[in-house]
Amino acid sequence: MTPVHFSFTSAFILGLMGLAFHRTHLLSALLCLEGMMLSLFIALSLLALQMEATGYSVAPMLFLSFSACEASAGLALLVATARTHGTDRLQSLNLLQC
Amino acid sequence: MTYLVSLFLLGLVLGLVAVASNPAPYFAALGLVVAAGVGCGVLVGHGGSFLSLVLFLIYLGGMLVVFAYSAALAAEPFPESWGDRSVLGYVVVYTLGVVLVAGLFWGGWYETSWTAVDEFKELSVLRGDTSGVALMYSHGGGMLIACAWVLLLTLFVVLELTRGLSRGALRAV
Repeated sequence: MTPVHFSFTSAFILGLMGLAFHRTHLLSALLCLEGMMLSLFIALSLLALQMEATGYSVAPMLFLSFSACEASAGLALLVATARTHGTDRLQSLNLLQC
Repeated sequence: MTYLVSLFLLGLVLGLVAVASNPAPYFAALGLVVAAGVGCGVLVGHGGSFLSLVLFLIYLGGMLVVFAYSAALAAEPFPESWGDRSVLGYVVVYTLGVVLVAGLFWGGWYETSWTAVDEFKELSVLRGDTSGVALMYSHGGGMLIACAWVLLLTLFVVLELTRGLSRGALRAV
């Protein structure tokens, strides 16, 4: 595995672990998701650049637009949570707790 | 040049370590800004100047600005930075994990396998990624319309989620 591939692969896995093991804030989980999107954008761009297949340069652009949609939906959920529960801390999301 | 791009790759991994260790969201957003900045440097080192510009403008200048001021929703009186005990534990574990896995691949990382040097065959105004993105407007027109439709749909999704009153998506009472 070349160093470039190792870098964005480990960046993706780190973001995934940060998303899985997030502790207090919902916003930190959303930020880890954005980190995963960043590593995927870099991976798609480097695919187009290293293979010199310039037709695949469209993929990172479309990916970025879909990622923007996802980020905005996540932030809307964060705002709705903060408006309902007063905070975005995960301790307050306990309606389903037995 | 190889050294600079390898420093940027290290910055990408360390920036994501800073985000994944879950400090207070102020500091995680800072780590993400640094990671995106050096990620743009990696793309420029491979000759993708247009994609790097798009990443800076849309990702850093659009999405992360919104995350930065949404961090005000997560305000707390004593934000945890990377020096606090619990966050430092995560930082150490993630860094050690990356170093250990890099040690597995260390044998194949010779001088020539680091990065692809930007190949500049002729003098040209149009670089590869710029002219590749132009395909989005010609043959990729259907996908462009689909993305625009999805963005419009997301606008209505966001408006509906944050509308609230007593019939909104998330209500405790």
